[in-house]
Amino acid sequence: MNKQVELLQGTLDMLILKAVSLGALHGYGILVRLEQITGGRLHIQQGSLYPALYRLERKGLIAAEWGESDNKRRAKYYTLTAAGRKQLKAETALWNDFSTVVAGVLKAVPGES
Amino acid sequence: MRFGHRQRFEDDMDDELRFHIEAYVADLVRSGISHEEAARRARIEFGSMETKKEECRQAYGLQRLDELGADLRLTFRTIRRNPGFAAVAILSLALGIGATTAIFGVLDAVMLRLLPVRDPSGLVFVYSAGYEGRDGPPYPYFELLRDQAKSFDSVAAFSPSGIELVADRGRELARGVWVTGNFYETLGVRALLGRTLVASDDQPGGDDGGAAVISRAYWQQRFGGDPSVIGRVIQVFNHSVTIVGILPTEIMSLEPGRPIDIAVPMKLSSPEKMRDRTALWLFVVGRLRGGVPAQQARAEADGLFQAYMAGVSVSDQVRRMLFQRIEISDAGQGLSGLRSMYSRPLTVLMILAGLVLCAACANLANMMLGRALARQRDFAVRLAIGASRGRLIRQTLVEALVLVGGGLLFGILFAHVGTAALAAFFSEGNTKIVLDLSFNLRVLSFAAGVTLLSGLALGILPAIRAANADPALGLQGGSRGVAGTRAAMAVSRGLVVVQVALSVVLLAGTGLFVRSLNELKSVDLGYRSEGILTMEVAPERRVFGTPEWFSLQTRILDNVRRVPGVRAAGWATMNPMSGRDRGAMIEAEGFSHRTDEDRKVHLAAVSPEHFETLEMPVLFGRSFTERDSGNAPKVAILNETAARFYFGRSIPIGRKMRFTNYPSPDLIYEIVGVVKDIRHDSLRDPVARFIYLPIPQHVERINRLALAVRCFGDPILFAEPVRKQIASEGSALLITDVNTMEKQVEDALLRERLVAALSATFGTVAMTLSCIGLYGLLAYTVTRRTNEIGIRMALGASRGSVTGLVVSEALRLASAGVVIGLSAAAALGQVTRALLFGVDPYDPQVYAGVTTLLLALAATAAVGPSRRASSLDPVSALRQD
Repeated sequence: MNKQVELLQGTLDMLILKAVSLGALHGYGILVRLEQITGGRLHIQQGSLYPALYRLERKGLIAAEWGESDNKRRAKYYTLTAAGRKQLKAETALWNDFSTVVAGVLKAVPGES
Repeated sequence: MRFGHRQRFEDDMDDELRFHIEAYVADLVRSGISHEEAARRARIEFGSMETKKEECRQAYGLQRLDELGADLRLTFRTIRRNPGFAAVAILSLALGIGATTAIFGVLDAVMLRLLPVRDPSGLVFVYSAGYEGRDGPPYPYFELLRDQAKSFDSVAAFSPSGIELVADRGRELARGVWVTGNFYETLGVRALLGRTLVASDDQPGGDDGGAAVISRAYWQQRFGGDPSVIGRVIQVFNHSVTIVGILPTEIMSLEPGRPIDIAVPMKLSSPEKMRDRTALWLFVVGRLRGGVPAQQARAEADGLFQAYMAGVSVSDQVRRMLFQRIEISDAGQGLSGLRSMYSRPLTVLMILAGLVLCAACANLANMMLGRALARQRDFAVRLAIGASRGRLIRQTLVEALVLVGGGLLFGILFAHVGTAALAAFFSEGNTKIVLDLSFNLRVLSFAAGVTLLSGLALGILPAIRAANADPALGLQGGSRGVAGTRAAMAVSRGLVVVQVALSVVLLAGTGLFVRSLNELKSVDLGYRSEGILTMEVAPERRVFGTPEWFSLQTRILDNVRRVPGVRAAGWATMNPMSGRDRGAMIEAEGFSHRTDEDRKVHLAAVSPEHFETLEMPVLFGRSFTERDSGNAPKVAILNETAARFYFGRSIPIGRKMRFTNYPSPDLIYEIVGVVKDIRHDSLRDPVARFIYLPIPQHVERINRLALAVRCFGDPILFAEPVRKQIASEGSALLITDVNTMEKQVEDALLRERLVAALSATFGTVAMTLSCIGLYGLLAYTVTRRTNEIGIRMALGASRGSVTGLVVSEALRLASAGVVIGLSAAAALGQVTRALLFGVDPYDPQVYAGVTTLLLALAATAAVGPSRRASSLDPVSALRQD
C-alpha cells in the first residue's frame, strides 16, 4: 500500500461533500467510495466520520433519508443539497487557489526572490 | 427538540452506527478475517460507541439543550428539597415587582401620561394671571383671541359643570362640560359613533338647541350601550338638544381623572356669563400654529389682552390680582389639579415600593450567595473531574432565572390585584376621581429588568468566585478553607444589614404617616360630623331666587323634621367638607384695610337651623331667625377668626360691614352674632375667615342648596325617607350628592389614608424579609462555626455564653442596620415633611419605637440558631470539619 496521507483538518467536510455529490450514499458507503477514489492512499478515521456527517446535516449542506441498503437493511442515505453544492464549489475553488500558491512557494529555487 | 423526536433521533443514530459497524465487519470477513477478529478490529477502529454518540450529539447541537434540561431538573429538585427558601424568594420578589408596578401605574395615569389627543405637544392652556394666581380668561377675550390671534391654528374653550338634563327619567344631574364647537376639532379627537361637535354647532340655533356628545362610559351606564341613542333628543336646562355622537371617555375634557358624561355647546349655558367681561369661568386651550414657539404665542395673546383690558373697568387691585397678563402652559397632560394633589404622595409611595423591591433583591442575593457558598465543595469536585467553568456558571444562571421567573409571574398577579385595589381605593363611593389604570407594560419590564440584574449580578458573582477557586483547596478545607469565603460572608452580612436598614426606613415612614393620619382625624372640625346626612337639592331654574323657592324651602324642612329619628335639618349654600367654596370681599367698620387680602372672606348663606343642625355653638349674639327675611334689616354672622381679625378683642355685635366686590354699593350688613370656627375645606390649613348671611338676604341669587339633616344613628338609613319627603313637595326637585358628613371628611383624607395603608403594608413585608434573612444568616453561621463552638465548649465555655455568641451577632447586625436606616430616614425627612401633619419627621418616639421593634425581632430571629448552637454535642462538633 502506498504511504497514507494524513488528512488535513477541515478537509474532511469537503471530501464528504464531494463523495456525496457523486450519488446518494450512507456513511459506510462514503468511506468506501473515498478509499476507492484515492486508491487506498487516504486514511479516514472511522470515528471522525459520523460527527462530521451530523455537523454537515445540521448546517444544511447535506440531507438525510432512510432507505434500504443492498442487503435489505435499513440505512440512512445522504444527498447533497443546493446549499451543499454551492459550498462544495466554493471550497474547491479555495482549495485549488491554496494549493497553487503553496506549490508555487515550494517550487522556489534558491536565488529567486 | 420534543421528547418524541428526541427518542427517534437516538434510535436512528443507534441504527446508523450499528449498520456501519456491521457493514465494516462484513467487509473484513469478506477479505478473509474471521468473524470475531473482524468484530474486534471494527470495534477498536470505530472507538467507543457512547463517545461517538456524544460527539454526534454535540455536532448536532443537542448538547446545550441537554445541559439546560439537566440544569432545570437540578433547580427544581433543589427547590423541592428546600421549598421554604424558594417560596420566600419568589414571594418577596413578587411583592416587590407587584408593588412597584401597581404604584407606577397610578403614577403614570396621574402624572406622566399624555392625553390621547393629536399631537399633545402643540396644545397649550391660555390663562389670565396676576399675583393671586391664574384662571381662565373671560369669554369675550376668548372670542377676541379666537378671531384675531395668528399664532394659533385654533382656540377653543371648555368649562366643567354639573348639567341638568331630562331624558326619559325626569330630571337628572350629569357630570358635564360646556364646550365651544371647535373644542374637539382643536384636540383632534374623533367620535366612536356618530360625530363630534363642530364649529357650526356654536351658531345661535333658534329652536334647535343644538347638538351634544356623550362619553362612552355614560353611554354604557345610562343608555345601556344602545346605538339608537344617536339622534335622540333630550332636554338640557330646558333646551332641546340632540345627541349626535359618542366619544372616548378619557378625552371628553382635559382634566385627567375627572369623569365627564356629556358635552354641550357653550351657547346653552349662561348668556350673562358669556357676556361678562371679567368672569373667570373658562379654560381656554389653543393649538399652536406649526413652528410658532409658545413664547411668541404668549406675547401676541398678551398684546391682545392688554388692549382688551383697556376697555374693561376693574379696580386696580383686582386687575393686579388676576388680570395682569397672559400666561401659557403645556396642555399635553391636561389640567394639573389631580397631579398637584397627588404627585408628592405618589412619589413617596414609589420610593417606598422601590425600597421593598430592594429588600426583596437583597433577600434573593443573600440566598444565592448562601447557596453558592454551600456548593463550593460540590463545584470543586465537578471541576476536578473535568466540568468546564462555563458549565457551572450556566447552572447558577439557570437557577437564578427560575427564581426570578417565578417571582415575575407572581409579580404580575400581585400587580393586577394591587392595581385593582388602588383603583377601588380612589373611587370608593367617591365619583370625583376616575383613573384609567390599565396594565402598564413599561413598568413591568422595568421592575423585571431591575430584579433580573440584581438577582443575576449578586448570584453570579459568588458562582464565578467558586468556579474560579482552586479545586484542590475546595476539596480539602470543607466549608472553611476556600479563599473568598470570608469576603462572601461579609457580603452576606452586609446584605442583611441593608435589609434591616430598609425595614427601618419603611417602618419609620409607617409610624410617621399613621401618626399623621391620626392627628388629622382628631382635628377639631368645629362641628359634630357624625350622624349628619347631606344632599344637594335643586329646583327648576325658573324658580331660582323666587319667593316660591323660599317657601318651598321652609315646607321641605318642616316635612323632613317630621321623619322619625330626625333631630334637626337646615339649608346652606354650601356645607363644610363638600368641596364647594365661595368667597367675597368685605370691609369692616373701623378696620383699615391695607390690601385686598384683608378683604377676603368665605361666604355662605344659611337657614336659621343651620348652626344647630351642625352643632356649631354661637359664641356671642344670636343665630338667624325667621324674622331675618328679605325685607328685614340686613344681618350677618362672623366666625371667630373673622371677628378677631376685624374687631380685635371687642365684641362685634352691632358693628357694620359691607360687601365690596358686588356692583351694588349698599350691601351693608349688621353683625348680630359670632359663631365658632369650623374647618370648611381642608383639615390642614388654618381656619379662614367666614361670614354667614340669612338665605333670604344673600348677596347672590339662591339657586341650588345643600341640605343637612342630623339623625339618630346611621344617617344613610334616612336617605330614602328624607328623599321621599322632599319629593312630596314637588317632583321637579332634583336631589343629588346624597352622602354623610362623616364620609365627606373621610374622603378629604384619601391621600393620607392611602399613604399610611401602603407604607404599613410595605413596612411589614420588609420587616418579615429582614427577619428571615437574619435567621438564615445566623443558621448558616452556626453551621459554619460548629467546629469552633465545639472547641469553645471543650475549653469550658458554658452553653449560655454560646447562646450569647449568636444573639450578640444578631444584635450587632441589627444595630448596624438600625443606625444606617435611621440616618436614611432622617435624610428623607425633608421629602416627607410636606405630607405630614402635626408630626415632625424626626419624631423621637417613632424612631425609638422602630429601633426597639427591630432589635426585638433580631433577638427573636436568633432564638432558633442559638438554641441549636448551645445544644451541640461538643464531641461531635469537634469532629466536624
